[in-house]
Amino acid sequence: MEIFYQYLETISENFFDPKKRVFLGYLFSAFLISFMWLTFVKKEKIKQAVYKIFDKKIFMSKSAKADYILFLLNIIILMFLSPLLISQLAIAHFVFEYLHSQTFLTPLGIDINYMWMIPIFFTFCYFVLDDFTKYVTHALMHKVPLLWEIHKTHHSARTLTPLTIFRTHPIEGVIFVVRSALTQGIVIATFYYVYGGNITFVTILGANLFSFWFHLFGSNLRHSHIRINYWSWLEKIFISPAQHQIHHSIKKEHHNKNFGVAFAFWDYMFGSLYISKSDEDVKFGISETEHKYENNIIYLYLSPLIGIYKLIANYVSSKNLKVKKQKFIFNKQTR
Amino acid sequence: MNNIKFKGTTLTKLSFVGAVTFSFMCSSITSVNAGHHGNVYGPYPITEKSYKGTKKNSVSYGGQMARQLLHNSLKKLASTGSPSDPTLAPEKKMLAYLNTKDKSKSLPIMDPKNSSKFPVKQKMIGELSGGANLSGKADKRIQTSWPGNMSGVDVIKFMIKKAGKTKGGVDTRNGMNYPQLISKYTMGAVLYHQACDNYLDEKMTASSKPNNKPYKKGAYYTGKEHSWDEAFGYWGAAAHTMKLSAAQSYDVAKKKDLKAADYNKDGVVDLQTEMTYAHAYYASSYDKKGKTNYLKTVTGAFIDGRKLITAADGNKLSEAELNKIQDYVQIICSNWEDVIAESVFKYAGSVYKDLSKIEKALASGSGMDKAMSKYLKHWGELKGFAMALQAGPDNKSDTFNRMNRMMGFGPLMPNLSQVVGIDSSGNYIKDQGSSIGYYKLHMLKIQNLMADKYALKAKINDATGGMAALLEEVGTKKSAEND
Ligand SMILES: [Zn+2]
Ligand SMILES: [Zn+2]
Repeated sequence: MEIFYQYLETISENFFDPKKRVFLGYLFSAFLISFMWLTFVKKEKIKQAVYKIFDKKIFMSKSAKADYILFLLNIIILMFLSPLLISQLAIAHFVFEYLHSQTFLTPLGIDINYMWMIPIFFTFCYFVLDDFTKYVTHALMHKVPLLWEIHKTHHSARTLTPLTIFRTHPIEGVIFVVRSALTQGIVIATFYYVYGGNITFVTILGANLFSFWFHLFGSNLRHSHIRINYWSWLEKIFISPAQHQIHHSIKKEHHNKNFGVAFAFWDYMFGSLYISKSDEDVKFGISETEHKYENNIIYLYLSPLIGIYKLIANYVSSKNLKVKKQKFIFNKQTR
Repeated sequence: MNNIKFKGTTLTKLSFVGAVTFSFMCSSITSVNAGHHGNVYGPYPITEKSYKGTKKNSVSYGGQMARQLLHNSLKKLASTGSPSDPTLAPEKKMLAYLNTKDKSKSLPIMDPKNSSKFPVKQKMIGELSGGANLSGKADKRIQTSWPGNMSGVDVIKFMIKKAGKTKGGVDTRNGMNYPQLISKYTMGAVLYHQACDNYLDEKMTASSKPNNKPYKKGAYYTGKEHSWDEAFGYWGAAAHTMKLSAAQSYDVAKKKDLKAADYNKDGVVDLQTEMTYAHAYYASSYDKKGKTNYLKTVTGAFIDGRKLITAADGNKLSEAELNKIQDYVQIICSNWEDVIAESVFKYAGSVYKDLSKIEKALASGSGMDKAMSKYLKHWGELKGFAMALQAGPDNKSDTFNRMNRMMGFGPLMPNLSQVVGIDSSGNYIKDQGSSIGYYKLHMLKIQNLMADKYALKAKINDATGGMAALLEEVGTKKSAEND
């Protein structure tokens, strides 16, 4: 009973907590942005625009339905897995204690006059570094064949809705929880040490100031059929919804592009940036032909395990070491 | 006819009002009575059957209150040291408060002293008891928390000797703040040690100090009654503590709240029953922040235990009664221990903060006199409480060894020197310590150790508490989601 209540709470938290991507307020702002985009920029009629935004074919597609079920089932799985994972607090304590034994980084004596800037600086750094580790993790999910087998689940979506973020294999969920805990633990402990505990987050409705803006300005449209693109110079700084949609494209030239979440400059720096073109049509998914079971829930849970098994079997049977390495560690062909 | 009828209704009305008033009065009297007897430590009737005198109250812990005041006074005197006094007057005076039983009522109480804001009933130690000193009751075991392999009582004497020759009692070269060291360690080595390692320990067993015999020949209290009372005296709570809030008890100790202190409304504070001392004071300081209830938990258990003993009416305690007493002892001594551990936690946090300030001053080349004096004061409190913790019945030697090793025998000085021992003539031996960063890390680890081994809830000055709060603020991911 207790667990069931906790389960419902976690579900509702996703929609009522402004720290979460699919918080109702952000979903509403995403609707407003897409409405304005369609009526002002694309010059569509109001009725037509609304009809397009809430397209039944998309929200009720087999792919979207699988997203919804995965959302509900994964919460249960993570409820049991999360307590087993290393906590952000343990990481933070470890880092904080380590910092006392080194001399490279020393606590700053802060001039009281600049005190007001510290929370903003801290909040910004946290957001940027968090975004960077997301970029790295995402790139690895594509480049490492083992991880790609797991990340495939997300890319198997044929239609994108804001809830497609939950079309994620639980193993990937665990990887992201660990990434998040490591980032939080390391960044917070380091700042806490350097600023002698004088740090606070700048928040709006409890959410990080910059996350709040990111979500308010349409983060939910990344996974949608509303193709909003920016000026190309801006797409080098921020990832536009269209750019993430390109990331989901089945076209070969779109593979392994736009790993970024909020910022595009990571992709720019590491050569994976792809600027959107307004006339380019994008079809979502892994391959041209739909896999027979790609929206079957059991298949979605098992396919990474099957894929990993095949990889290992292949690895063991192949005798050539060079091939082994290529196949197993870094394989440019994955995506 | 009319007239009679009128009279009748008036009578009924009157009797009704009378009955209501009467029952109201009765109930309020009973409630006052219940409150009075339920929540105050004493008076309790005489149950000792051999006693033939006229006394009506069996409660007696004058010796303990005398020791509370000896401790208070000793702390005051510890800052009167003078390196240039060839007569060694400061040391002699301190030793008098350590060793003398004030039969002749010649030792003035140094703290609290009488004032118009906080008038006190007793002026001399001997007015509370002429048969109590501190040294006779101090821990006699060898102390590993202090250099020189001395017994507890010798450690106090050593500190007094040093304090007497040190200006203001603070040795800025070695980092020793003697008023804090002497006070906090005495709280442990005498007060806590006697209560939890003696009166509530051996003396609460069936064979020792039985309840069907007087505590000593001719006494008006039984063996168990008096043992229990003595332990309560060492706790240092006012008898009416349960009637006060933690903040009031705190202010009483600080001599700020005469109204709260003066329970019998005679205009003066009776230092025997109306004052908050030492351990009870520290308990109140944590409780007033709202997260803990140490003071009333311990005081309440003392009252409940004493009621149980009184109810035995001078007969031997049954096994069931002795077991119940053990339950109370468990509550008292584990909470008491936690209060001391909270202090270790708190001052480790203070020392951590002070060291950060010293680091900054060292980096910027600015003055650090103020930061240093705070640092030495807090370190003295930390060390004193850490030593006090080891004076209890529970020998957590593993925890103690780790704590002592991390803290060292002296504070790490800004030039990285640290006391590591004492030579044969009683001088400190110093060595080069680690870095300030490492020493700060030790303070963090001492806090972790305390939080780990004791049921701490107040956790004042938690050096990593802010970090935990920040992590709480960003929250944890509970769903599997891509970005
Ligand atoms: Zn991807
Ligand atoms: Zn995606």
